[in-house]
Parts: sequence; C-alpha cells; structure tokens
Amino acid sequence: MRLIVNGASHEVAAPDHERLLTTLRERLHLTGTKLVCGRGECGACTVLVDGAPAYSCLTLTAACDGREIATIEGLARDGELHPVQQAFVEHDALQCGFCTPGQILAAVALLDRQPHPTEDDVRRGMSGNLCRCGAYPKIVRAVLAAAEGADAHG
Amino acid sequence: MAKRFVTTKVEVEGREETKVVELPTRDPEPWGNDASLHVVGRREKRMDALEKVTGEAEYTADVQLPGMLYVALKRANVAAGRITTLDLAPALAQPGVRGGLATGDLQGIKLDGIQLFDGTIHYANQPIAAICADTLEIAERALREIRVEVEPMPHAIDAASALADDAPRVKPHGNTHRASPRVTSRGDLEAGLRDADVTIVREYRTPVALHTALEPHGAVAAWSGDRVTVWESTQGIFNTRADIAEAFELPLSSVRVVKNYMGGGFGAKNGASFAAYTAVALSRKLRRPVRCIFDREGEQTDAGNRTATVQRVTLAARRDGTLTAISLDATIPLGIGGWLSSPARMYSEMYRCANVRTSETFVFTNTAPMASFRAPGNVEGAFGLESAMDVLARELDMDPLELRRRNYADHDQERNRRYSAKHLDECYTRGAERFGWSRARSRKRNEDARVHRGVGMASICWGAGGGPPAYATVRINGDGSIEVLTGAQDLGTGARTVMAQIAAEVLGAKLEDVRTVLGDTERLPFASNSWGSITTASVGPAVRVAAEEARDALFEAAAGMLDTQPDDLESRDSEIHAKSSDRCLLFREVCEKLGDVMIIGQGSRGPNPDGTALYAFGAQFAEVEVDVETGRVRVLRVVSAHDSGRIVNPTLAESQLEGGIIQGLGYALFEERILDARMGLPLNPTMHDYKIPTIADVPEIDAFFVDIPDTVANHTGAKGVAEPPIIGTAPAIANAVMDALGVEVGEIPITPWRLAGRIGA
Repeated sequence: MRLIVNGASHEVAAPDHERLLTTLRERLHLTGTKLVCGRGECGACTVLVDGAPAYSCLTLTAACDGREIATIEGLARDGELHPVQQAFVEHDALQCGFCTPGQILAAVALLDRQPHPTEDDVRRGMSGNLCRCGAYPKIVRAVLAAAEGADAHG
Repeated sequence: MAKRFVTTKVEVEGREETKVVELPTRDPEPWGNDASLHVVGRREKRMDALEKVTGEAEYTADVQLPGMLYVALKRANVAAGRITTLDLAPALAQPGVRGGLATGDLQGIKLDGIQLFDGTIHYANQPIAAICADTLEIAERALREIRVEVEPMPHAIDAASALADDAPRVKPHGNTHRASPRVTSRGDLEAGLRDADVTIVREYRTPVALHTALEPHGAVAAWSGDRVTVWESTQGIFNTRADIAEAFELPLSSVRVVKNYMGGGFGAKNGASFAAYTAVALSRKLRRPVRCIFDREGEQTDAGNRTATVQRVTLAARRDGTLTAISLDATIPLGIGGWLSSPARMYSEMYRCANVRTSETFVFTNTAPMASFRAPGNVEGAFGLESAMDVLARELDMDPLELRRRNYADHDQERNRRYSAKHLDECYTRGAERFGWSRARSRKRNEDARVHRGVGMASICWGAGGGPPAYATVRINGDGSIEVLTGAQDLGTGARTVMAQIAAEVLGAKLEDVRTVLGDTERLPFASNSWGSITTASVGPAVRVAAEEARDALFEAAAGMLDTQPDDLESRDSEIHAKSSDRCLLFREVCEKLGDVMIIGQGSRGPNPDGTALYAFGAQFAEVEVDVETGRVRVLRVVSAHDSGRIVNPTLAESQLEGGIIQGLGYALFEERILDARMGLPLNPTMHDYKIPTIADVPEIDAFFVDIPDTVANHTGAKGVAEPPIIGTAPAIANAVMDALGVEVGEIPITPWRLAGRIGA
C-alpha cells in the first residue's frame, strides 16, 4: 500500500492489523510521533490524516492507503518553522517536549478548523492532549499567538 | 597548605548527606544584588526548543539500532505468591523470539531491596519473566505461550492490614521498616499542650499518586566487546552507570550511559531501572542491541509512586496564635521497598514552635515500591500541617495568613542553624497583594447559592540549596564557539539553557555562541542526579568557575594580540575590548589566531557553608468554586510567590512553577491509585482512569519570584525551583474548599463523591 507522508510517497508492506504509529516509527523511522498510552487517551501520537487530527495509535495503517499523512517532521518548510512551532518556541509552551509533537499537530488542526479561536476554544480543542510537565498555560498562549500571527501575516 | 579535600553537608529530597568535596581552584565573589549581569536573569528562549518542536529530539524510545531486539515483560497477576512453574520454552520456540529471562537469571541484582526474577511475587504486576524478539509484537504475543503456575499467598496491600495482628509476612523480617517509629522531638510537648488556650486534633489522609511521566521507564543496551552502552530515560546518568557496573561486575569505564532527552522524570528515574538491567542482560546474552521500554500499564503500576500517608496531627496555640505544641503521628506505607521520605519535616521546620514531636511508622505492603516524587514528604506533610493550620485559625477566629506570620521561623530549629537567606515574609506580602487576599477573605458569601466560592493559602519550604560534587568544563573552539560540558541532565527543566546562560555571562559571550552538552558519562565530567531541585545550585557554580578559567586564558591570549594586559580587557557579545586603547577583537578572531589551541576551563562546585540551612520558600493562594450539589471543585486561580534565590531565567523558572502547581492541582482533586481491595490488583492503570489535569482544568496562574540572590548559599546566588511549587497547592485548594463550605476536607483527592459525602454529613 502507498502512504503519502509529509508529501513523500512510501510503499509500505504493513500487515492489516498494524497501527499507523508503528508504521511511522518503526518502518519509516519518523520517531517524532510518540507512543505514550497506546489507546487514545493522551494525544501524544496525534498526526494529521488528510488534514484532520488522528490518534495514530488507534489508526490502522491499512486504512490510510493513498491518504496524506502529516507528522511533526514535515511541518517546517524549507527550514522555516510552522507558525505554531514558532509560537511554541517563543512562548516556552513545552518542558520535557515529549507531548509537544502531538500538541503542535492538534493545534495546527484546531487553527485550521477555527482560525480565530477564543481562549475557551483552545482549552476545549486541546483538551485531548495531555502534558504532565504542565506547560498548559503557555500552550494556550502559544496557540492564541499563532492564530494572531497568522492574521497579521494573512 | 590548605586542604584539598574537605567534607560538607548536602541536602537532597529532604535527606542530608555528608559529601567529600575537592575545593575548586577558585572561589569567585558571589553575584549579589548589585552584580551587573547581562545574560543571567534574562528571559532567554529554551535552547533545545527547536529540537523539541520539530520532533528531532531523540528520546530513549527513539533510539533505533541495526539488529535491535525488543523486550516484552510478563507480569504477575496476584499481589503475593510463589511461582511454582515458569517455563519459557514454548515462547522461545516461536518464530522471531531470540531469548528470555526467568527465575534465577539476574542473580544478585536487586532493585528496591528485591532480588529481580527471584521466583517470589511481592506485588501485582511485578515482572516475572522477559521475552526478547525481533519485534515488540512478536515478543508480546510470545508472552502468552509462557507456562506459568503461581501459588497465591496472603497479602497486605495497605498499612492497616499490614499492621494487623494476623497480618501475613510482607517481608521476612517484619512488616515495618526497622527505622520505625522514627521519632524527632524538641522541647516538652506535654508542657506545650498545657500552655495552650486552643488545641485541635485531626487526622489527614493522602493518596498514592503516580508520576505518570509521558515517557515511560526504558532503556536500550548495546554491547561492544566487554563494554556496554546504555541509553536510559534517567535523572542520573552517573548513578545509572554505577548501578549497571556493580550489577554486571564491570569497571565503571566499561559502562557508558547516555541520556539526551527525556520525557519527564519527576523523581522516579534516579538510577538503573528494571528495564535497564533487563536490556543489558539480554543484550549481553544475545550479542544484539536490546530495547526494553515499559508499556503504559507497566509505567502506571510498577515505576514508583508517591506514598500514601495517614497523619494524626495535634496543634496547640495560645489565644494570640503562638504555637505552643505540634505533634504528628504518621503512618506511611512504602510498598515492598523504597526509602523513608518524611512528611514530618514540614511539621518540625515550617513554623516557630518550641515543643514539637513527630513519629513516623514506615510499613511494607504488597504493592509496588514507592519512589521520590517531586518534593517527596513535604507534599504529603504540607497537606496535613497546612490543613490543620487553617482549622486552628478558624478556632482562633484569625486570618490564616496572620496565624502563619505570627509563627514565622527565623532559623532552622530542628538543627539549630541559621538560614542562608529567607524571604518567606516577602512571599506572604507580595503573594497576598497580587491575590487580593484581604479583599477576597472579607467578601460576603451567598449561603443559598448552589456554587460557593472560597479562598485558601499555604506555606512552602524545601531544602533546595544543592551542593558538591559537580564538575564542568568550558571549551572554546577555534572558531570562537563555546561548549559547556557537564554530566548533568535536563529533564525538561531548562538546565541546558541555564548552564549556557551562566557560561555566557562569565565569558561575555553571545548566548547563541554557547552550547551545553549533557547526559553522557563517557564524555562528560561528573554531576549528580537531577533531583531535589539541585541542578542549578549544584552545577551552576561549577560552570561559573570553568567559564572564569576559560575567560582568563582567552583574555591572556587576546592581551598579547592587543598589546595590553589581561586586566585591561572586558568582553561582551563575544567581543573582547581593551579599555585603554578601544581596540577590540571578536572571540573568533582570537581563536583563529590560536589555531588548534583549545581553550579549556575546568570548574567544580565548592562546599556548602557550615551550620547553615539552604532553603527555598514560598506561599500559595488559591480561589475555588464548589458546586454544593455535585461536590465538584473548580480552581479559579492560583497565585504563587517564591523565594528561590536568584532566578537565572525567569521564563523557564515560571514554567516550572506552573507545572508544579498543575501537578499539585491534580494531587488535590483527581489523582489516586486505586487497588482492588480483595485481590490487590491495580484498577486504574491507564491515563483515562488515573486522571492527571488536562488543559481544561488549568486555572489562571500567577506564579512569580521575589528574586533576591542568596549569596550565602553559593556564588551564583541561585537555589532550586522545581519542587517547591507542588508543595503548597493541595493544602491551599483544600483550605479554599473549607472556606467555601465551612466543611473540613481531611482527605485528598477532593473528588466530587468524597466531598458530596462530607457536605451531606
């Protein structure tokens, strides 16, 4: 089957029961996507499938045949960080960084759906992504700032 | 000649140890309040943020080596028992399975006092066998083929059942730790009680809480010849190295431990883990790289926890609020092993009181071993003490903050020594001001409303002064770029950034020219575990000394090139400037002229001051909303004022404060490991059922520092930041709930059902 990951096409021979998380990490060596709970409870493995956020631990690779998958590795373009990545850096919206790839992709998806979120929208939209270090206050700030920045540049 | 090696006291996680220290080559003037600093104290961006936002940061689980094998662990499904049959053969016969470990295979290796794979089951989910295969999936599937028979034995999973007359033997020598009861006493408790106008007696209960680091415990091991490299998610690379070397009878130089990035530790990752021993043993046996990473259930059930406590508290005071007696009788179940973290220390240290007695009984139970968890002991103790202080304040009809101020401790009474510095009063004042404490306290309540509001506060103290030994090297390369090398760890705290800021300050370098290299025992000089909030205060001074040595060498080289003397030179933004002639040279220009000469500065951490308590302090204020019909508590805002000496990077330090407060909020409201009472099996080993705070639970947080350098503690003036903020949160919230309802809380987490029961009662 064929996966289009971060714009590049990959032939993968994953068995039917293999989850996308495993395919990305073990076959394509894209280890930015993290395994934390493995059962859709924490959001650390969030990727975008055809632009929509998906828990890659609950997504079968076989169901992604021919679809476009975006992972954290593909977000920066030509050495230029995505505005959400940039905002996470600017606002110190991370500590250990283990949940960060999932947080960023969830934020990208949120801003795609809702380009002008309120603080409450951000809290609701990001509540499926757990962070144990407690970077939450700064994640809220970073996501709001990324939204404003997109406006300013838009 | 002055002695080269001396001893000094160092406090870590509430334990004071005597350490040998090699006196540093120089002892710089402390950076006091008036020091003119340009990089230290600045809000610089986290220097490893780029790697983290791009997914390039390599964590232990991301290490992929050619030919690497994967380990799955078979875990016990009873709380106590004897393994009568354990046959790996059917599993080993599966295609793709390469080996395994079973009873007797790690003879002589112990963790938390338990011999690994010893054929005895001490707690539910204890690993009893390991299978190693080409993929994790094959290994996990093969586990089901293992033939295992277990003879269950009677167990005791809580302190009450372990202390009962007919309790089963949890440990061969008895169910209490031999240090029990551990008693401290000063003054005359009876006299203090007689002296009092008001006495309160209460009991407080705290739960077992789980670290729930997003990156689980895990290791990758690869042998080459008679040497092994271990990648481990650890807070202590050198501790891990020592553990592995001892277990496998290797010289320290044959073990290399690497940790570049880690996904949280919070106290549970302080030495070689079960995963590391397993990976090293299997890798040696199979001569292939081996990865062993706990799955989430393993992490939630067998990777350390904060002990539960029962605290029976007596506080006695005169009418004016002066404490005359404090007594604590605490029971602390450790699980099957661990160390003796102390809730009593809050009681004996936080407030001025002449008559104090504490007693702690540590109990072994058939549950997983405890581990340090962010401010172990003080977090639990603070809930009891600070809840009781508010009850006392109510009895005295006194403002809780005023009661605390009236019992302000001006020295460490337990060990009769001075504080290096203490600005808790400043925290009280500024915290109360920013919170609007008086206004919030005097607000009229609407008793008929369904949702009640309340405010509460709590005090914080923590031994966060750090200490030796710690070493650092500063290298200036031929192009003027600078490396700070030290064997410390960055858990997500910001240590990389903080060390670079200190070096840049001393060298007069641009921060972006400095890179900090951490986490590799083979290439870096020793630094201790990143625990006890000690890294900045322990390693920072070593970095400062190393950078001074490097700067002096650089200036000496530059002086020749600028036809002047080194003391005529100053540097800023990686440029050296001669005061007398206005001539200047970039670091790069000096270094290029030096060719392959490498400027190297070495530094170490000097001793702590004698007879001095090195403490961080703080005060937290919380406002809550309680729905009296459902018992649901919502925290609206938290103000947290901290005295941790000088703050090297306020942004990163505030991130840690916020993180501590949010973990404290989880401890106050949601977090509790639950075991099945009859079988002792874990009932909530997932992130769905063990609830940590989400972004939607987070209140408005105003966390800040009074930021006064502690020049007695060490010459950078900095003390620790990481642990203090979690100490006050649960009691501040519980006190706010009591303020809202007039009902005492007494037990955390304050879940709706627990609170609804109290409201109804």
